Amino acid sequence: MAPSSLADVAVGDVAPVVHHRLTRTDLVRYAGASGDFNPMHHDELLATAAMQPSVFGHGMFSMGLVGTALTNYLGIGVLRSFSVRFVRQTWPGEELSTSIVVTAITGAGAERLVQLEVGLHSAEGEVKVAGQATAALPAPAG
Amino acid sequence: MDEAELQRFIGQEVGRTRVTVERSALANFATAVLDDSPIYRDLTVAQGAGFASIPAPPTFPFVMGHWGAFAEQQPEGAPGPGLGMVLGPLLADGGLILHGEQHFTYERALVAGEVVDLVGHVKDLYVKQSKGATMTFVVVETRCTAAESGELIGTSTSNVLVRK
Repeated sequence: MAPSSLADVAVGDVAPVVHHRLTRTDLVRYAGASGDFNPMHHDELLATAAMQPSVFGHGMFSMGLVGTALTNYLGIGVLRSFSVRFVRQTWPGEELSTSIVVTAITGAGAERLVQLEVGLHSAEGEVKVAGQATAALPAPAG
Repeated sequence: MDEAELQRFIGQEVGRTRVTVERSALANFATAVLDDSPIYRDLTVAQGAGFASIPAPPTFPFVMGHWGAFAEQQPEGAPGPGLGMVLGPLLADGGLILHGEQHFTYERALVAGEVVDLVGHVKDLYVKQSKGATMTFVVVETRCTAAESGELIGTSTSNVLVRK
């Protein structure tokens, strides 16, 4: 259940992790939904000809998966900012996991900002994307 | 092109598109980022959560220009020259395009049925040398505003690099 107000969030809190084993079907579905048909993400022959071990994931699929974990945790429509650096490529077969932790709560009044560190990593601990997000949540009543 | 030549792109408009936010594109995109929330699929649930209509997933603004950019809605003279104007000359003698960073800001929820304008500008452009490769970074900010009122809904800023 997403926290409904700041009363449910504290610095150091960790969001439920989204785990996913990446498949080629994920990449084809993301290509179709995003319009990004760079062949490095769906054409194994072209990817290997370009010296890649296989097709690899769209960076924005990685960010999208982190976005899903963020809205699962905080609710839809509360994000105020969301940024990532794309650190490493993702590969079919990899087990990807999101990581989201509350780092600060700022502001005063009816609405306060929750700052979060966000990321996605493989089972081996390789960081795929790393960044920050900010969300506005209502202050506790009273 | 050397760095001084590239500097002239800073501040240039690289795209202007009018987009109708379509409900099916939102649900389809939610599926693609493995989000099964009923808010993206059931209008009653979305309205019950306080939205005027189905809202967009957080990273949808990056792809929204691919959906609902109907030809008859485009402003006079559009589409703009596009990022190809900058990347074309950079890639003329080869190279690899990589997405380095992505940053979104949200002023309010973007929902199905809205008509919005996307206008992109080159915010920065710089060159770095790394491990014998030349990396040219292009930072483009796209502002999403309500077509009717001009109200800012959010921004999408991409740092794209060409490595060669």
